[in-house]
Amino acid sequence: MTIPERTLLRRLFTAQDLTSMAPAAKVVVYALLLSWLMVVLFPLYWLFITSFKLPVHVNDGPDFLPFIDFKPSGHAWRYIFVELGNDTLRPYLSSVIVASCSTVLCVLIGAFAAYALVRIQYRVKVGNVAAFLLFLAGTVYVIVNLGAPWPVAAAVASVLFVLFATSVGRSFQRSLGNDDILFWIISNRILPPVVVVLPVYLMFQRLGLLDTHVALIATYTAINLPIVVWLMRDFFAGIPVDLEESAQIDGASRFRIFFTIVLPLGRPGLAATSLLILILAWNEYLLALFISTADAQTMPMLVAAQNATRGPQWWYMSVLIVIMIAPIVLTAAMLQRHIARGLMVGAIKG
Amino acid sequence: MRVRLANVRKSFGRHEVVRNLSLDIADGELLVLLGASGCGKTTALRMVAGLETVTAGTIEIGDRDVTHVLPKYRNVAMVFQSYALYPHMTVARNIGYPLKLRGTPAAELDAAVRSAAAKVHLEELLDRYPRQLSGGQRQRVALARAMVRTPSVFLMDEPLSNLDAKLRSAMRAELKRLQSDLGVTTIYVTHDQIEAMTLAHRVAVMDGGVLQQVAPPKEIYDEPANLLVARFIGAPAMNIVAGAMEHGVFRLRDGAVPLGGAAPRASLYLGFRPEDAILAPADAAMLRARIYSTEMTGNETIVTCHLDGEPVVVRADKDFEGAPDSAVGIDLDPAKAVLFDRDTGNRIRR
Ligand SMILES: Nc1ncnc2c1ncn2[C@@H]1O[C@H](COP(=O)(O)OP(=O)(O)O)[C@@H](O)[C@H]1O
Ligand SMILES: [Mg+2]
Repeated sequence: MTIPERTLLRRLFTAQDLTSMAPAAKVVVYALLLSWLMVVLFPLYWLFITSFKLPVHVNDGPDFLPFIDFKPSGHAWRYIFVELGNDTLRPYLSSVIVASCSTVLCVLIGAFAAYALVRIQYRVKVGNVAAFLLFLAGTVYVIVNLGAPWPVAAAVASVLFVLFATSVGRSFQRSLGNDDILFWIISNRILPPVVVVLPVYLMFQRLGLLDTHVALIATYTAINLPIVVWLMRDFFAGIPVDLEESAQIDGASRFRIFFTIVLPLGRPGLAATSLLILILAWNEYLLALFISTADAQTMPMLVAAQNATRGPQWWYMSVLIVIMIAPIVLTAAMLQRHIARGLMVGAIKG
Repeated sequence: MRVRLANVRKSFGRHEVVRNLSLDIADGELLVLLGASGCGKTTALRMVAGLETVTAGTIEIGDRDVTHVLPKYRNVAMVFQSYALYPHMTVARNIGYPLKLRGTPAAELDAAVRSAAAKVHLEELLDRYPRQLSGGQRQRVALARAMVRTPSVFLMDEPLSNLDAKLRSAMRAELKRLQSDLGVTTIYVTHDQIEAMTLAHRVAVMDGGVLQQVAPPKEIYDEPANLLVARFIGAPAMNIVAGAMEHGVFRLRDGAVPLGGAAPRASLYLGFRPEDAILAPADAAMLRARIYSTEMTGNETIVTCHLDGEPVVVRADKDFEGAPDSAVGIDLDPAKAVLFDRDTGNRIRR
């Protein structure tokens, strides 16, 4: 075999070794990356400069260069922070409280559920599930149509169901496993949220919790839970069971194992999942629109409100969006460190 | 502490993995569970640890029946084949974890960690993470973590199998020394017969979930209870040839061995170790064979012959020379030869 001559052209198209790229490929890749970067960053830039434009500048066509195309003005910032003042601060605080509380709750509960689905084998009898639904329907019927007091009806139904499940229920054969449970959890997200808006609204109205942080936190926790379970399950499944068994022999309880071994090792997953859930909760609009009206109003609604009677107020919206994006960008930067891989190296084998 | 297994069984579904295992391990004894991969050694060990439930039978540690006791209340320490180190903790925290769970005061914990680390020469590495250690060092951390407290029993599941040959023999000697210094009852699982022979006070040989023989290494080697043990122990393994006893002579097609004291009987196997036979001129020897191949190992020559068409291995002097296919005689030491029943496979006492 002859060794091909190393002409300039050939050198341009061959990589030095397996871990590097050929020079030509490098150029192409970086060009593509750069143009994509522009696509991603340009809207943010436009947003940022728009927040410093006067309405006239916005309305008379695209201007991109501050000081050259237009003279920057702080009027929109002043309006949002000084004239609106507390009316900006309240939704902002609302958003912070609702998004952070629901994220913490959601990730904690979801992580528990995901861990249980990884480590514990469940066998749910199909017959018992069907029986539960029947008992539920019966209870509702008795309460609504026969006017039975609901605490009594619920208690009686619960006792009857337990008796049923522990007697007749034992003889059922078909059962559901962990995968079925997981699928059921994820299937909760198949419904578009708009379908449940009305029931959710009525529920909180009945409870007297409309327009409260509690209602928003509960709703966001519930709708984001399936995502957490789904994502965290894979991370937990990657933790060798030996580690937990070793801890168990050394005297750790299940909770101790979860908090000292499983959670620290699931940190990259927790960070990534938390960030995603935080973003989902922070930006949620539809449910907030129904559940909150004034006191618990969140930022997305304030932004939308700038499009009210006088037509879209692009400059005010831009300011609001800029201050809305800021904390998410900061959080992402902070969590970035933890979304590192290779945490499991050294756990097992030589 | 004494460990007793009485008629212990374990099934996974219909598959019975450990069958009627009874073992009585004395205080301070090092018992090696030896058997081919998949024969149920790990399962047996995990039942003693409490990581696996017992299908039938009882397990006692000391005078306490622990059959249904949770792992953390059994006070055993286990070294996993995978080491199961916590990758997010330093060596010091790994070793100290069992004590931390017991709420040991910091100063005492630190001293205990240092002394355990000193026993396995890890003092310099206490601040490293498992990923920064070599295989041998990780193995030592696992050992130190087991030794940091005073358990009733050490359980070790192939602790040396992930090390290279040289390190393994060094660690073997250290383990033996540590165990006798600490005097803690130890159950050691391995598929490596050399490890079993060198470490054990007694060896328990398992095959297909059934205990075949429990005896000191020398007895296992010289007086195997049955063909399974005879074939498993020794490298090269024991030679087994078929024949019959007639008038105080074991007769094969190509020779005869005088065996005083054995009753006449058809359908027997004669077993002899490669080192209990010598090669001799073909015409005067007990057995007549043909040389198949010779392997010089340095201190001896392993000669494989064909006797009655079956391979038979003899250890010869390192200077032995023999052409393949040449006729050769084999003389063996009748006192060291053993007889097996061909139907049951059990050794026949004589
Ligand atoms: N959790 C389990 N479920 C089903 N079968 C198992 C389980 N653990 C082990 N086994 C089976 O039990 C047998 C013995 O396994 P093991 O005790 O690990 O063997 P060894 O340690 O001797 O190699 C194997 O056939 C294995 O497939
Ligand atoms: Mg094993």
